[in-house]
Amino acid sequence: MNSDTVEVIRTLDAEDRVVGVFSEIVREPEFWGALADRPKVGSWRDPDVEAIAALKPDLVIAYTRNPGPILERKMAPFGIQVLRLDLYKVAALEREVLVLGRLLERDKEAARFCAWHHQRLGAIQERIAQTDRRPSVYMESYTDYHAVGPSSGGHEMCVLAGGRNIAAVLAIPYPRVTAEWVVSQNPEVIVKPAVYGNGYSLKDAAPFNKRREALLGRPVWGHIAAVTSGNVHVLDSSIWTGPRAIIGIAYLARWFHSKLFSDLDPEALHKEYLETFQGVAYHGVFVSDYPGGAGR
Amino acid sequence: MSATAETLYRRYKARAGVKTLVLVLAVFLLAVGMVVGLCVGASGMGLGQVLASLLKDTGRDHGIVWLIRLPRIIMAALVGFGLGLAGSVFQAVLRNPLASPFTLGVGSAAGFGAVSVILFMGGGFQTYRVAAGAFLLTLLSAALILAVARMKSASSETMILTGIAQMFLFSSLTSLFQYMGTMEQVHEVVFWFFGSLSKAGWPEIGLTAIMILVPFPFLLSRAWDFNLLASGDDSALALGVNVKRLRMTSVVAASLVTAGGICFTGVIGFVGLVAPHITRMVIGNDHQFLLPVSGLVGALLVVVADTLGRSIWAPQVIPIGIVTSFVGVPFFFYLLMKRSKEYW
Repeated sequence: MNSDTVEVIRTLDAEDRVVGVFSEIVREPEFWGALADRPKVGSWRDPDVEAIAALKPDLVIAYTRNPGPILERKMAPFGIQVLRLDLYKVAALEREVLVLGRLLERDKEAARFCAWHHQRLGAIQERIAQTDRRPSVYMESYTDYHAVGPSSGGHEMCVLAGGRNIAAVLAIPYPRVTAEWVVSQNPEVIVKPAVYGNGYSLKDAAPFNKRREALLGRPVWGHIAAVTSGNVHVLDSSIWTGPRAIIGIAYLARWFHSKLFSDLDPEALHKEYLETFQGVAYHGVFVSDYPGGAGR
Repeated sequence: MSATAETLYRRYKARAGVKTLVLVLAVFLLAVGMVVGLCVGASGMGLGQVLASLLKDTGRDHGIVWLIRLPRIIMAALVGFGLGLAGSVFQAVLRNPLASPFTLGVGSAAGFGAVSVILFMGGGFQTYRVAAGAFLLTLLSAALILAVARMKSASSETMILTGIAQMFLFSSLTSLFQYMGTMEQVHEVVFWFFGSLSKAGWPEIGLTAIMILVPFPFLLSRAWDFNLLASGDDSALALGVNVKRLRMTSVVAASLVTAGGICFTGVIGFVGLVAPHITRMVIGNDHQFLLPVSGLVGALLVVVADTLGRSIWAPQVIPIGIVTSFVGVPFFFYLLMKRSKEYW
């Protein structure tokens, strides 16, 4: 019922077990391939119960909090079980992949992915541990001046990439802030996920660059360290949280600690993930160009 | 002049003097509110620093004052003025205390215009496209009200019912589009409906000022007609008012003002409904004063709400559309309870 689950099921080489998929899958045909042709059962927040019942699945997989408990109540009369997983959270990903692997009898595939993920993330963590420097970062959500705050997936990625999220001290996950607050915090790096991004369909970075230019041109932002140094980045939402967050974390680590990670190639990591676990050839563009060439 | 007429004239002059005083007081309070708002911000600049930064280029602080704080406060005042003015005009021409830009569906139409652009034209990134979408749909909604009114003799009941019908129509279309949107687009749409002054810049202020201040003299010139209309369509007709034309032209002008008020900021509800009522409770129904003072009260409401929204939970900002209700409703209730007689 959500993209994260379908992606992990494909990682486990069990896509033949999927009888219904989330309706929005048609928006990314380049990534989902034949899976996009499976019957649609609504969105992650608003499932089509009748469509699900008609498919007679053994199991429906949804996020922990969305949709609410009503999903279990509506599925019960049809004898359909509901499993709740939050595969978009990096901290929970490996544990939940193993659970899903056990359920689908794909333990070997699950262990293989977890080992890969653990090794790649661990390598980044080990290198970050070599320095006490934590550059200040302003991460803006899809809507202008909505910071990525504590308890959000983006904040988790920032910390794992060795950054200090300036909005970590705020009270809610996506607080609205003023331009003046951002200027007064003077962050060293600015990161924003692209709103309508589908990086797999792009030929060049023009849409990301346009958004980046808009960030650079905001009133008084010329006084922010990140803007004067050009350390402002836009990245595709496909690598912003979810099972591909490891790729986003690699980009962030590269932007936060350019010398420490000068040999880290997020594009190669992305290619490796797609070809090894998704059976998809690497294509597309996922971040804005970065003066000095460290972006891509 | 007979003794009775002279007494009435003197009484009118005395009341007009009081109303003029209220007008001056509203201007003064708005000026104070704007200065206070100018001194509130995350960088911690006080009045002295703000003044110094206003007068000479002090680098970052100069930019903060001229490019962030000042545009935000001027936009707040302009939008509030427009909504207060438009609300008082809608209530006058439709002779209905519940009339406002939003109860007539004009706000819903603007929202639908903005949502259409956000979903289908990559709007989130293009402030002007979203504003144009909101503006065009606002005018379309006014045209729809006028078209129906033209066929049905432009009675206030026809206009109100048309307005309510289109409010539901545009709200449903907005919900349908939201249903079709991605999570990110829905997020953006939701925040458009909360209202925001964060994208206010000088070019946006220029356009907003044109849309709000240009129709203002025309509306003010119709103040006596609005006064006559208050006693009923037939009485106004008997006293030489072309009621049909007045109603049509005023709805167009007030819709233009509303469009100017919300196209760059999103929906800031409640002000258009409550500012005229607050004003009417204080100075009565003379539209010569009611129109400008409603605008000033609306401006004061939005400026105060914005300052509170930026400061009570700083550095987080509480959306302006939420705070205007929190500020306006208690004050409205206070006045409503305090009034010993009917004011409408």
